[in-house]
Amino acid sequence: MTSTPLFRAARLALVALIAISALLPLAWMLIAGFKGKNEVLRSPFQFFPEIWIVDNYASILQDPQFLMAMGVTFLGAVIFTVLSLTVNSFAAYAFARLDFRGKRFWWLYCITPMFIPAMAILLTSFVVVSNLGMLNTLAVLIIPGVAAAAQMFFIRQFYLNMPVAIEEAALIDGASRWKIFTTIFLPQSQGPFVVVGVASYLAYWNAYVWPILTIQDPNLFQIMQYLGNFRSDRGNEWGLLMAGSTLAALPTIALLLVFQRYIVNGVRLAGMK
Amino acid sequence: MTSLQTLRDTVVTAEASAVVNLTRRRRGSHLRDNRTAYLMLAPMVVLLAIFVFWPLVYSIYLSAFEVSFYEEPVFVGMQFYQYVLESPGFWNAIGVGLRFALIVVPLQMIFGFVIASVIKGLGRRLAGFMKTTVYVPTVVSAVIASIVFVFMYRADGGLINWLLSLVGTGPFAFISDPLLALPAIAVPAIWLVTGITALIMLAGMLDIPESYYEAAELEGARFLQKTFYITIPLMKNVLLFLLVTGFVGALQQFELPLVMTQGGPVNATMTPNLFIFNQFKDPTPYATSFSITAALLLFVVLGTISALIFRLVKSDKAIDG
Repeated sequence: MTSTPLFRAARLALVALIAISALLPLAWMLIAGFKGKNEVLRSPFQFFPEIWIVDNYASILQDPQFLMAMGVTFLGAVIFTVLSLTVNSFAAYAFARLDFRGKRFWWLYCITPMFIPAMAILLTSFVVVSNLGMLNTLAVLIIPGVAAAAQMFFIRQFYLNMPVAIEEAALIDGASRWKIFTTIFLPQSQGPFVVVGVASYLAYWNAYVWPILTIQDPNLFQIMQYLGNFRSDRGNEWGLLMAGSTLAALPTIALLLVFQRYIVNGVRLAGMK
Repeated sequence: MTSLQTLRDTVVTAEASAVVNLTRRRRGSHLRDNRTAYLMLAPMVVLLAIFVFWPLVYSIYLSAFEVSFYEEPVFVGMQFYQYVLESPGFWNAIGVGLRFALIVVPLQMIFGFVIASVIKGLGRRLAGFMKTTVYVPTVVSAVIASIVFVFMYRADGGLINWLLSLVGTGPFAFISDPLLALPAIAVPAIWLVTGITALIMLAGMLDIPESYYEAAELEGARFLQKTFYITIPLMKNVLLFLLVTGFVGALQQFELPLVMTQGGPVNATMTPNLFIFNQFKDPTPYATSFSITAALLLFVVLGTISALIFRLVKSDKAIDG
């Protein structure tokens, strides 16, 4: 590498520029939450507040609708993630390790949804869930997305790479396939499970369109739906909206920070699909 | 070679050993595997049947019928396909989608490549920090990005116009100007996807053997020469993959214009998905069939493109090329 001081200084400047571009909108959002009611839109623009106030954060945290939305979304996201990991890892194991009649057909069946864009079936999915009487329930937010071809595919890639020898030894010892799956495969799956689980959690937490189509009950409003409604209904309380958006983004960023190693490594496989 | 190669090799090896394993086993276990396999597949198969294949078949059915609240559905064959193809709104949306993708995809690729190159040259700790930093926007929702950028774009008191005023231009009313609105929603779109693009590119770059670069350095190659003669050619597959998935993704952008501009001003940001979504909510009769037909038409194309990339990425041709 060319390591003249000039080159290194230029590279460091570029690193700083990249970091700032990535984080500036979020930093601005966080700080705008500390501004007074009329200060967010003050002209000329000021990045930092004249006086830092916590009123916005304090009052959004006292808004029962906001708390409800955060709580319900969190609950839904956790259930969604657990169900999604279960269903997709079962299928992944069957495809990676078992031989059964009609395997090719079922493989095509399970993998085809990866190539069906969401919008192509969004509208009729709405009709289907409404026929099933699922509108305005937590189930409509959770169940339809649980089976996910891409996630099943990702876990299967991992299972294909597990050494065969252990499995053979277990079979000779008379272990059932189910026992092999639960005692050998599952404990080894933290890596792919973290990647797939975080992706599920994020998809649920950040979902907007499906909730606005299927949920009218304010008690079941999802967090992004809450923020979207807030912007159109109470758009003049900007500081409050910024505080709410910051708090709504926190769980996803925290998740990234906690699992960053797994996720960043997982990109390597996930990128190849 | 690329990670595609190694990925494929490991898959092939695993599949080969699975076959050996199978032939070794006694015949009796076949029956047991059948039952276990079906039980383990059942939840996925049933859920996909209800929530993917039923809606899909229903879409195809509806596209051939005129549906209204008052009468029984009437079979009209391909008539809705004709309506959609003759609708100026549909073609406007396709145009908007293509223009949007033409702004987003090249910039996403260039920024991603630069960021990946920079991270690759860093020391371990700073590289780790940067990987997480560039990933942060990717985990933020499109709704939050929309809200934040709407405020940053304000003509009066907005961050971006303030930055522009420092270099002596502006202010611009970004999202209410028909010419600027589309580029304006492209910025958060790029902000949201560049991190993951960069990380995938970085993974591809790290698979290129360091010895290639060392050899090139001995020959006196400079940074740009190494980039154009080693990095880019050896990452061809990764770049192609990102280019096409980026394109398919950008063409489907929907939430940013929905929250930021509602498709306006004067349909300047009416992306195909938003057009379809709005048609569906339109109260006029037959809007349902119209929007569903439009969705099918558009997405047969997109689905085919995705399936082709998938094949390409898995095929030998792509790997040897």
